[in-house]
Parts: sequence; C-alpha cells; structure tokens
Amino acid sequence: MADLADRRILLVEDEYMIAADLASFLERHGASIVGPFKSVASALAALDGEAIDAAVLDINLGGERVYPVADALISRNVPIVFATGYDELLMDRPYLGLPRCSKPIDKAALLQILQRTLNPPGSSS
Amino acid sequence: MSGRFEPMNDSTPHATRGPLDDQLFRLMVESAHDYAIFSLDNAGVVTSWNTGAERLMGWAHADAVGNTADVIFTAEDRAAGVPEQERTQAAKRGRAEDERWQQRKDGTRFWASGLMMRLDEPNAGFVKVLRDRTDAHLANERLRKSEERFRLLATNIPQLVFRSMSDGNRTWPSPQWIEFTGLGVEQSLGFGWLDAIHPEDRGPTLAAWTGAIDRGEYYCEHRLRRRSDGQYRWHQTRARSIGPDEPRDWVGTMTDIHDLRALQERQRVLMAELQHRTRNLLAIVQTIVSRTLRGSDSLQSFELEFSRRLQALSRVQALISGVDYQSLDLRDLLIAELQAHDGRQLNSGRVTLDGPAFPLPAAAAQALGLAFHELVTNAVKYGALAQERGGLAVKWQVDRRDAEQVAKVEWKESGVAMPPGVARRAGYGRELIERALPYQLGAETELQFEPDGVRCSITVTLKSPTNG
Repeated sequence: MADLADRRILLVEDEYMIAADLASFLERHGASIVGPFKSVASALAALDGEAIDAAVLDINLGGERVYPVADALISRNVPIVFATGYDELLMDRPYLGLPRCSKPIDKAALLQILQRTLNPPGSSS
Repeated sequence: MSGRFEPMNDSTPHATRGPLDDQLFRLMVESAHDYAIFSLDNAGVVTSWNTGAERLMGWAHADAVGNTADVIFTAEDRAAGVPEQERTQAAKRGRAEDERWQQRKDGTRFWASGLMMRLDEPNAGFVKVLRDRTDAHLANERLRKSEERFRLLATNIPQLVFRSMSDGNRTWPSPQWIEFTGLGVEQSLGFGWLDAIHPEDRGPTLAAWTGAIDRGEYYCEHRLRRRSDGQYRWHQTRARSIGPDEPRDWVGTMTDIHDLRALQERQRVLMAELQHRTRNLLAIVQTIVSRTLRGSDSLQSFELEFSRRLQALSRVQALISGVDYQSLDLRDLLIAELQAHDGRQLNSGRVTLDGPAFPLPAAAAQALGLAFHELVTNAVKYGALAQERGGLAVKWQVDRRDAEQVAKVEWKESGVAMPPGVARRAGYGRELIERALPYQLGAETELQFEPDGVRCSITVTLKSPTNG
C-alpha cells in the first residue's frame, strides 16, 4: 500500500479533538503534519516558507470560511481535500469539484483520496 | 312600390338632374337596405321613408309618412329637445351629424350613426340617413370597459406594470413604476426604463428579452432602484404577449422580492449552520469514542465512561439550545454539570461557587462544559465529592477591557486524600484541559494533582459581547 511517508500535510480544523485524531492517524501513515491550525489567519501565516504536499481543510472554522486558505493553496498547485460538515448544496460553487470527505470522517476514505492525489496512476514515484 | 320614395321637389328645375339621374337616385335609395333614408319637412314631419328605414325602425312607409319623425328619438332625447336642435343645426350649417341611441316602433333601441342634411331649396326640409351601428358600438364599449378594467387593475396592484413590445421596448409604464423609480413616462418609454435597473443587471435584463417571443414569456430577476432611498431592491419581472393576435404587444409585472430573497438567503445560511453543527457533533462523538476506548480496560468501563461523556455533551447542547445558541452563563454551566452528578452536593456546604456573571458563547460553553464534566467526574470518583472531608471551591474573576473580557476560573479541591495513580489515569480530561481549551479558546490552563486535591486554573479571553 502506497504510504504518506515524507509527505507534508497541512491540517486546518478548529475542533481540537478532531484535529488531533486526524493528525495522529496521518502521522501513523508516515505523514508529517503542518499545523493543525484553527483559523484562516494562522493557516495562511504558515503557508509561507513551508513546503506542503497536500492539505486537509475543514470549511467552517468557528464561523469563518476556510476558502482564502484554499485559494492560496490552489494558486500554489497544492492538492486539497475538504473534511467538512457541509453538504454539496451548501458549499461555495468554485470549490464543488474538489475532493471532499464528510464528517464524521471515514479515515480510510481520506487516506485513499490523499494517496490517489499524491501518487496519481502513471506517476513514476 | 312606386312613390315609396319620391325625391323632393321633383318638379323643380335642377341644374344637372335629368330623368336618368332621378332613376339612378331612386334605385340607390331603394336598394340601400342597410341604411334608413328618409326625408322630413321643416317641422319634422316625414315626407318619404325607404325600405331600409322600414327594416331598421319597424314603421311601414304608410305609418311613417305624414307623421312626426321625432318618434325615432328616445323619450329622454325628445324631452331634451334633441330633434329640434338637430334640425336647427342642419338648417343653419347644412348638416348635423351625431351618434346616439335611437328607438324602434316596438320600443327597442339601437345605436345609430346619423347624418341630417338640409335640402337646397328653401323650406324643402331635410334628408336623414341612419345606420345601425349597435354591434360595433357595443364591441367598442366592451373594449373600452376592458381597457378601463386593465388600467384599474394595472394601476392598483402593488406590482409595477408595463406594456412593451416583444423586444423590451416599453410603450406604457404604470403609475406605480413612476412612483417607485422616479422616472417619468417619457423617460421610461423605449429603453429608458433601463436607467432604473442596477448597472450590473442591465446586460442580463436585456439578454432575457432575446428569444422571449419564441418562449412566449419573459422572466428576469434584477435589482431596481427605489427613488425614495436610492436602494436597489430585487424584483422579479415577468411578461407575456397579450394574446396570439398581438404577438408583439406584451404586458408585464415587476414584483418586489427583496425581502423574500433575504429570507431565502437566511434560510440557506441556517441550513448550512445546522448541517455543520450536526456533522461536527458527530465528529466530536467519534473522537470521544476513540479516546474513551483508549482509556478503558474493559467494555463495561467503556460503556459507563462513554455514556457519561455522551450525556455531558448532550447536556451542554441542551443548555446552549435552551438559550437559542446565544451566550450561556458560566455559573449555569457549572451548576448543570454538578447537578447531573449529585445535586445534593450543591447544598451540602461542601461546594462553593463564587464569581460574577460571565456569558459564554456557544462554542466556548461546549468546550468548557466537557472539561468541567471531566473535573466533576474525577471529583465524584476519587476527589472532593467522593470523600467525607473533601471540599470544592470554584471561584472566578472577570476582568473587562475595551473589547475583551478575561475570566480566570480557579477549581480548587481540598481535604482530599489523593489516591495513587489518579493523575496518570486522567488521560482524556487532561487532554481536554491542557490541549483542547488552549487550541480552541486560546485559553491558558493548568492542571495539578496536589496531595490534598485537584487544582485547575483556566483563563479564557473572549470578545466582549456586542448587542444583537
């Protein structure tokens, strides 16, 4: 099974226990976690100077939306997975096509999406 | 039938009329079945009466000739002297034209278009031609009433009404439109009405007219400027052609849907918020499951611990929803948690709560509620609330600054003989207090297991509540 070894994954989630759970799960699969961050400002501040391979983003962060972080990542070509309580209908239109896991997170499904995104079929690694 | 209609003054020499002309004239008059043509003298007595007059009015030639022609007028007109006025005018000006209700022999009425002409020779009287225009008149009347009803409707409903061509070229704006937009009739005609549409919406507004004639309907939602306060308000505009006979003639309404749209948007936001809360809550339950599982040495202890934590979560949820997701007072949160474990402790004198009112936003209340649950559970199992000599004092101070409130909560147990190993057991509670509260609330926390009981201090900084 392809792993997340040496992958740096940004985690944005405002609920500590959820963030801690996800972080330890991803770390068990070899990833190193950038974050977790609970707000747009703290996540954006971390983007500069950090090499990031992928990001797992909650959408609603204590009332504010994570979209500015998503925009910054998209402009850096960093793949994103939303881990969110939002249904498709309630998401902002430009982000509808991006991969998404509904809360409560099915971690195996999240892992699969991350692996597929980071090691697309046909890639040499 | 000869002599039914005798041209007047047949014997009088006339410059151009010969025998042929007389015959032609007679034939024309006799064959004009749809026209009542008769002559009368200066006093209004009938001197000739054609077939058309017999047909239209019901008096036979013999009944009519020699009698007054006034009988074809309604009683009202006769009383008002209309027959005399008509003759006077025709005598003076050569002709008198009018349209009015006239009367038949049987009393029924018909709408007549009439022309009375003075005959040239002195004292020769008049000739009158009448035509039955009842059907056309009634049709006109119906049309006029229908137009009037349309205007009445169009000018009294709350919608802004307009008439236009099938390309959006306006031909009539209702008074409500003028009142709402402040654009005059002239300014609104053609495409002048576009000035009242929000500049960003003008393109889509015009584009919607393209193809409207094929679809048979125009539909658009756009913002319309209200003159009274300059606000652009959302309107829904619909228009249709008046009917298949008039494919280019359209009528439309513009309905203010501004408040409706605001409500829909609010509902969408509420739905999103509800969705978020529900799923987040499930995700929190998921973390409680995994944390509790990790700290349990048997399924029995898992079940007990898990159901207590679930109850604590649901208790906090109930409290928050009880205040409609507004702020919840710190004291109420503490009391609810203590009561859930053992209500009697609150009045036993062993527990003291001391501090001012401190309103907590929902998110902070939920995080603190779960932390208090862990502290209370520990106290009930091993600490101040489990032992005879134990005491619990919770004190808090609130420091109000400009935009912030800083609350420092001190949890202090005393008189406890701390059993060995408790400090190590408190995995989930310790994580909540030492990690989750700092992460989620930016709180500064400290948890210590002193020999005589637990000490915990939590300092939370919150934005001062704003009104509304």
